[in-house]
Amino acid sequence: MSDPIEGENDAVVTLDRATLFADQSLAGLPLCRAYSDLMDRWLAALFDQAGAPPGVSLLAVGGYGRAELSPQSDIDLLLVHEPKVDVAKVADRLWYPIWDENLKLGHAVRTAKDALALASDDLDTATALLSIRHLAGDRGLTADLHDKAHALWRKRAKRWMTEMSRRVRDRHGAAGEVAFLLEPDLKEGRGGLRDVHAIHWAEQAESVMFEGDDAALAEAYDVLLSARVELHRRTGRAGDRLLLQEQDGVAEALGYDDANALMRAVSTAARTISWTGDEVWSRIDSSLGGPSSIRLRRDKKLASGVILREGTVQLTADADPGADPLLALRVAVAAAAEDVRIERRSLDRLAAVGLPNPFPWSADARQLFADLFFAGPRAISVIEALDQRGLWGQLLPEWTTVRCKPQRNAYHTYTVDRHLCEAAVNAGQLIDRVDRPDLLVVGTLLHDIGKGYPGDHTVVGVDLVAAIGARMGYAPDDIAELQAMVRHHLLLPDVATRRDITDDGTIEMVATTVGTERTLRLLAALTEADSKATGPAAWNTWKAELVESLVMRTAHVLGGGVVSEVSLETFPTDEQLALMAQRQQVIDCRDDSLVVISPDRPGLFSRVSGVLSLSGLDVLDAAAYTNNDGMALEMFHVESTASPIIPWDRVVRDLELALTGRLALAARLEERARVYSRPRVLPHGPVKPRVEFDTELSRHATVVEVHAPDAIGVLYRITRAIAELELDIRSAKVHTLGHEVVDSFYVRDQQGEKPTDPALLAELERAILHALIS
Amino acid sequence: MKLITAIIKPFKLDDVKEALKGAGITGLTITEAKGFGRQGGHTELYRGAEYNVDFLPKIRLEMVVASAEEADRVRDVLATAARTGKIGDGKVWITEVDSLLRIRTGELNDDAI
Repeated sequence: MSDPIEGENDAVVTLDRATLFADQSLAGLPLCRAYSDLMDRWLAALFDQAGAPPGVSLLAVGGYGRAELSPQSDIDLLLVHEPKVDVAKVADRLWYPIWDENLKLGHAVRTAKDALALASDDLDTATALLSIRHLAGDRGLTADLHDKAHALWRKRAKRWMTEMSRRVRDRHGAAGEVAFLLEPDLKEGRGGLRDVHAIHWAEQAESVMFEGDDAALAEAYDVLLSARVELHRRTGRAGDRLLLQEQDGVAEALGYDDANALMRAVSTAARTISWTGDEVWSRIDSSLGGPSSIRLRRDKKLASGVILREGTVQLTADADPGADPLLALRVAVAAAAEDVRIERRSLDRLAAVGLPNPFPWSADARQLFADLFFAGPRAISVIEALDQRGLWGQLLPEWTTVRCKPQRNAYHTYTVDRHLCEAAVNAGQLIDRVDRPDLLVVGTLLHDIGKGYPGDHTVVGVDLVAAIGARMGYAPDDIAELQAMVRHHLLLPDVATRRDITDDGTIEMVATTVGTERTLRLLAALTEADSKATGPAAWNTWKAELVESLVMRTAHVLGGGVVSEVSLETFPTDEQLALMAQRQQVIDCRDDSLVVISPDRPGLFSRVSGVLSLSGLDVLDAAAYTNNDGMALEMFHVESTASPIIPWDRVVRDLELALTGRLALAARLEERARVYSRPRVLPHGPVKPRVEFDTELSRHATVVEVHAPDAIGVLYRITRAIAELELDIRSAKVHTLGHEVVDSFYVRDQQGEKPTDPALLAELERAILHALIS
Repeated sequence: MKLITAIIKPFKLDDVKEALKGAGITGLTITEAKGFGRQGGHTELYRGAEYNVDFLPKIRLEMVVASAEEADRVRDVLATAARTGKIGDGKVWITEVDSLLRIRTGELNDDAI
């Protein structure tokens, strides 16, 4: 055995990454492979130059072992040697040039025996050895290690599967869902790259995938990997979160129409990976559980042709999907009701046959369809299974347009299709509030179906529902009801959060629009179901109370009553009126509301809102009243953004100063805004402020609705502009949706009339828009 | 005035101290530190579980000199003394000092060096 050559052959072996990365014709997966090939050649050359003796080989492990190198990936290498071979100098001659190239190196030098010893106890080392790839040196050594590593993996299968299953779950909990997040973690998230690795490692222990799974996974994997590669290339950093500001660039580099198309592809890929993963791990968990009482129980018949066996819902051997078109629905309903998965082979049998076109919608079929949503949260994963296998789309062809369609704003968390399913399942929990549960869940399921098409999604949805309803065999009256649900699905939440629900004109408008008590109740339940399925910020006690109050008043009017008869709380209370008569300034704060009584003056409202903003408080709603004696009463309902405790002491102190003109509010608010504001990147760009007027809705006041980007002091500035035009604010609602606020005001002029003069309103708009720009 | 900060391997401290004395440095502060760089904290190149990143013991030195030229000179002396050629030798950096006070006498800036 000759000694390694030292000092000879010092020709510099170069690695030119820059040229490769600058080549715009290579993107995504091809770039990844090309980089890997380049690295292979360079390392092989380094190895040659290092002059290794026989009995040494250089292996790629991890991502590099899979020949997947993103521009910012680590290079993970293993130098394997026979015992007694001295590799110290060889190692130096490999590692130093790699470090000097500014590459991130993960390295280890081991005998095959040591490597296997580590792998038998450490999951990460064991999986690393599953991905080894020969780069240079002794091929026999590599092949031997490869075979032994796989044998060892299979031998320890049970232990590793248990640990992997746990890790997968933990990782999902921490990293979120790739399919639904605005900025998904492509590697660690649920439905991400790591999930595919885990499935393949499991597969190498024992066969866990079904026919077709591997191909579907490979396709989905490529989509995510390509996105990750381009992300690395653009940011110049490692990192797997597909940031909002990078999405346009990544989309362009990969040839997608735009960022929406990219994110839709990412979502679709992630859904496939998630579902396949869920299937695999539930089978593994179940087989790891060993013989248990579940599995030894006898089959339980759930419906015609459908049984519960070994903890999953299955078709009986003699069930014939071809002859029994409702079988798929029965299976789905049974699985949802029993809260278990559909057994994979049964699902594939159903999918192979498919559903007849046209689907024979009968009363039974409609009932089964609705039952699916009454069954509870499990319905969502059942529908996912049907969708992944193409059955759901056969039932509802219009679903294609909303499948995996992203809703790219901070307000929504789910894609459109998942939002609709979640909403319908939520509605299924509220069926005791309506007399037609079937219409409730179907209408909720379809309320955003128009979002898959261009144009106003409500208008498009109404037409689609007519077609779908007819196809499903609903009676014309029922179809009209479903259409009403779609047409008015935003009515109640919008009025509740942006309008004065004590104003009789407003309530009358709602009652006229809704028409009947049945529609009102359906819309009320839909509102709650929809809001809960939108995002964590979309439904809270405040909103729930407002909607309930609105529904109650509307129901009263529909029943023939008069709005003013519904007195939930009078404003102002007698106590407050008495205080006003005393002509003293009063500041009263308790819990989350503030009452200010003071001599009336223009700008009072804006001063109070400014002070509240200074203490980090958000105004949710407000009301104002002036008596004939020149005293004003204003009540604010607030919420603290900074801490759970409302700093009333500070508020009262600032208010006393502000009311007597001893506080430079504008200056202080600007200062606060500078300190606390952070520039945000938004998916559709910054919100463009706009002002809308409604002079018809209320008899007593004009409604001014302002849409603006959320920022500190917005309410202060808008109300200051309103005061400048000498208008009085009777009531106000502030609603925040993600990064946008909608502030609505009912205003009157100094004579107590509603301002309708277009010139005045134009000036008001000008003043408000100006106030928002600064 | 410039502050010279260096991270070096602990066993090199004596060599570096002698070299700095020869370069005219009369005051020096050292702290025990821990750190890692590109080799990822691997204690030995030839063994170790793959996924550990451990902090290795290091020594941090700090000294103040009067001018940028002197700082560059001292830096080079320090680096030469601290170098072994193996990974983990450390780094030296130079930053600006706004003011310097000798506590006992109240002398300021250059007088305090």
